Amino acid sequence: MFDRRLFTNFDWTLLGVVLLITAFGVINIYSASSSYRDIGTPYYLKQLYWIVAGLGLCLTVCSLDYHMLEDFAYWLYGGVLVLLVLVLVAGKTTMGATRWISLGFFNMQPSEPMKIVIIMTFARFFSRYPVFKGLTLRELVQPLLLLGIPAVLIMKQPDLGTAILVSLIAGTMLLFVGVRFSALGTIFAAAVPTVVIAWQFLLHDYQKKRIYNFLNPDLDPLGSGYHIIQSKIAVGSGATFGKGFMQGTQSQLRFLPEQHTDFAFSVFAEEWGFLGCLLMLTLYLFLILWGLGIAKRCNDRFGSLLAVGVTAMLFWHIVINMGMVIGLMPVVGVPLPFFSYGGTSMVTSMVGVGILLNISMRRFMF
Amino acid sequence: MIDKWEKWARVRMRFVALLFVGFFIAATGRAFYLQVLDNDKLVKIAEKQHQKSILLTPSRGGIYDRNNAPFAVSIEMDSCYAETRNMENIPEAAAQLAPALGYSKDELEAKLKGAKNFVWLARRMPPEQAKRVKALDLEGVGFVKESRRFYPNSQVAAHVIGFTGVDPSGLEGVEKKYDNIILGNTGYLVTERDALGRDIALKKGSEGKAGSKGSNVVLTLDKNIQYIAEKELTKTIEKNGAKAGIAIVMEPDTGRVLAMANYPSFNPNNIKELAPGAIRNRAIADSFEPGSTFKIFLVAAALEAGVIRPGDSFNCENGSCNMYGRTIHDTHKYGALTVPQILKYSSNIGAAKIGQRLGSQRLFTALTGFGFGEKSSIDLPGEVSGMLRPQEKWYGIDLATISFGQGVTATALQLTAAVSAVANGGNLMKPYLVDRIVDDEGVVLQQFGPQLKRRVVSPETARTVARMLEGVVADGGTGTGAAVDGYRVAGKTGTAQKVEGRSYSASKRIGSFIGFVPVEKPRLAIMVMVDEPTANVYGGVVAAPAFSAIAQQSLCYLNVPPDKSIKKKPAPAPEKVTPQAEQAVVEGGTVEGADAGTMPNFRGMSMRQVLRVMEQRGLNVKLQGSGRAVEQNPPPGARITTQDQVWVRFVPTA
Repeated sequence: MFDRRLFTNFDWTLLGVVLLITAFGVINIYSASSSYRDIGTPYYLKQLYWIVAGLGLCLTVCSLDYHMLEDFAYWLYGGVLVLLVLVLVAGKTTMGATRWISLGFFNMQPSEPMKIVIIMTFARFFSRYPVFKGLTLRELVQPLLLLGIPAVLIMKQPDLGTAILVSLIAGTMLLFVGVRFSALGTIFAAAVPTVVIAWQFLLHDYQKKRIYNFLNPDLDPLGSGYHIIQSKIAVGSGATFGKGFMQGTQSQLRFLPEQHTDFAFSVFAEEWGFLGCLLMLTLYLFLILWGLGIAKRCNDRFGSLLAVGVTAMLFWHIVINMGMVIGLMPVVGVPLPFFSYGGTSMVTSMVGVGILLNISMRRFMF
Repeated sequence: MIDKWEKWARVRMRFVALLFVGFFIAATGRAFYLQVLDNDKLVKIAEKQHQKSILLTPSRGGIYDRNNAPFAVSIEMDSCYAETRNMENIPEAAAQLAPALGYSKDELEAKLKGAKNFVWLARRMPPEQAKRVKALDLEGVGFVKESRRFYPNSQVAAHVIGFTGVDPSGLEGVEKKYDNIILGNTGYLVTERDALGRDIALKKGSEGKAGSKGSNVVLTLDKNIQYIAEKELTKTIEKNGAKAGIAIVMEPDTGRVLAMANYPSFNPNNIKELAPGAIRNRAIADSFEPGSTFKIFLVAAALEAGVIRPGDSFNCENGSCNMYGRTIHDTHKYGALTVPQILKYSSNIGAAKIGQRLGSQRLFTALTGFGFGEKSSIDLPGEVSGMLRPQEKWYGIDLATISFGQGVTATALQLTAAVSAVANGGNLMKPYLVDRIVDDEGVVLQQFGPQLKRRVVSPETARTVARMLEGVVADGGTGTGAAVDGYRVAGKTGTAQKVEGRSYSASKRIGSFIGFVPVEKPRLAIMVMVDEPTANVYGGVVAAPAFSAIAQQSLCYLNVPPDKSIKKKPAPAPEKVTPQAEQAVVEGGTVEGADAGTMPNFRGMSMRQVLRVMEQRGLNVKLQGSGRAVEQNPPPGARITTQDQVWVRFVPTA
């Protein structure tokens, strides 16, 4: 199983870029959490543990041939779906949302693996599906159901961020597979009333508020607009060269909210300035393009679709998080992959990278 | 099939890649906008959010006399603060600091453990205390220089200089009037605060902004003349048992105030222990009825108007004259007096008659011309204008009484400025106190000069009046006590009843003397006012000697060459000493006749017996206490001069 070619073909570049980003992430978390009162293990150390754990998982994932996933995809999909239902029935409620189920020794958030599982499911679905001139509306029914069931379940928790991400990932894959313009037009025509209905009945007040505030954060600068305004101030006051490591006034003095998790990049932008931003953006762009390259180089459809899906997953996380930090998008609680503090995000992203490495190193297997 | 799919896949891949790249370009653009283009605004907002300034006491410029002797200076002292978050062991630090700072340990500990990170421990400490605290060398304790106001001459010119409060702004006097020039820019320390508004720390690597020192003010005052004036004023007040007093010395040609003394005074270094009323600059803030000194301006106006000539004589009605249903008295009975004699003997009846000849319209215009009824606009806060009723509101007797200084009020400064106009040949100058404003290198930023307000009388009139005023000080005049060895003195006495409620007080008087010296080319115009003297009330007795002393010492200090031939008479208890008074009847009679020259022995006498002796001798004696006489001044057999304070103290027998 451990072919020597696997080692020679190992994608060191990808792993290198990922490790570089995690290293910046740890350094940044150290700065961002330095003003926190010390309780237990410091965040940057915990993040290191999660990186190690994530790398372990990543290497495990890439040690198994990804073609096996093709067989397990639907089983995994079914399993996660069951967990999602379980969450709604017997989940733990924290901060007004029921996202976790207790598995005795640790808590699990089944919406998170859904991101990976939806990729596998779609890849499995379309790898056997003959498509020539793009999907028609009729052909879209099945995949949209596959996406819709978990998406609605996640939305019900409520976890708008994850629901949107799962949809975006699946949507990107659909686009990649190809959708007829006629179908796209129909969907768009249907989407407008759907959005209106969703706004009326599905979105919670706090979710609506976030969108209002994105459109005009000054409405409530100390309340719900606070995140956007403070993040903009932190990023902007960093100027070209930044305030220096551990010198970010807005972060060190705790004006920034969630500064080690969702707004970690604000801290980085404040302390390292535009040049730091440029560096991180370049690294992420490189990561994304490299992921697409893997998809392109892959010889089988399943692998190619998988790679596109994983790349899309990383991309949308990056887009939503950075967009939020620099005020291009509303506040949605999405972490920056490899950079924000958080075990769940780290594990998901690392598994994603594991899949990419897996595909990358087996590109000459056929 | 695979091939075709692959071909399409590549196209779509490019499309997706383009989408991704497009977003990254947008994100980079946005970051560039926020951080490079729009950062100024956001940096400012950020600073506003997390920075807090701790203001330091700004350094004030100095105040100097005309010879650059300091009246007020700012000295740098150490202020001590604690940054509690940098302190390793607060209880231990508190235990060490408490004795050095004069706190109790618990009190200091509580202060250090409070919510604030930045705590002032002591501001502007005495040097030895600062040394002690510095020697402790504690982590988290810092020092910064702040300035403290210090008045090296204590009470000298205290009323003019004023003082500052606990905060650094001027509260009185020049300190207040020129506050915006003297006060420097406030320096500050910058601390950071967190989102909850707590102080965090002094900004690293920044001492904040040091304040800049204010400009220096150089006054027209002369420290030595000021000191002379204050010393002589105090002496006079104490000798006469008076309540308060004023002395002003002015340069008649320019309006420069050389000295402005007030009694009671205060020490501006210690304003916590102020007696009420002590800080009031009476020279400008109090107006009073001038009394006979006003006759100077009446005569000047009448001469200027041409309604009288020096040789004209007026019937002084033997000391009592009816006008508009009221009787005007003179202290002594006179028949006909010429104009100079009216001034010399200070005849109220004569003055009233001159006033009538001049008429109220012309008198009012002339008095307004001399600056009465309007503020002199001296550069001090709190000046009053005095009361000179508009001429339309003068009724009946008013013309007569105003002619001899009753029914009108003026400040000491107004009187000094007005007499200066007579001294300098008829020009009313604006009195001023600040000569120039200079920076620390001595570069003059602003220079003030004499300002002519208006010409009041012609030089001839001024000269004529000056000659007449010389007579007041000459033998037989009311102001002989004002004579100065070696210089010709011109001046006028004044004694006014104080107004109490709505009528004139029976006993309270204001004695004053204004004049200038030397007559031929006046260098100094001097005003002395004594409020409520108790021993003797006459201006010629209480105020004139102070005038003489101030003039004598100041002229000597200024090196004005004396004329050796002019000798002050050693107060020879003249044939007929005629201290003047307005229509007042003063208890105890007056000193009269040569036989009053020696002091009898009153010891053991009852008050009634003493009064009898006094009546016989025409002595004006102050009686204190009751019972039998035990003490007296001067001692028995001593010669009595008009300046002497004559008193007898009684103690109850049994």
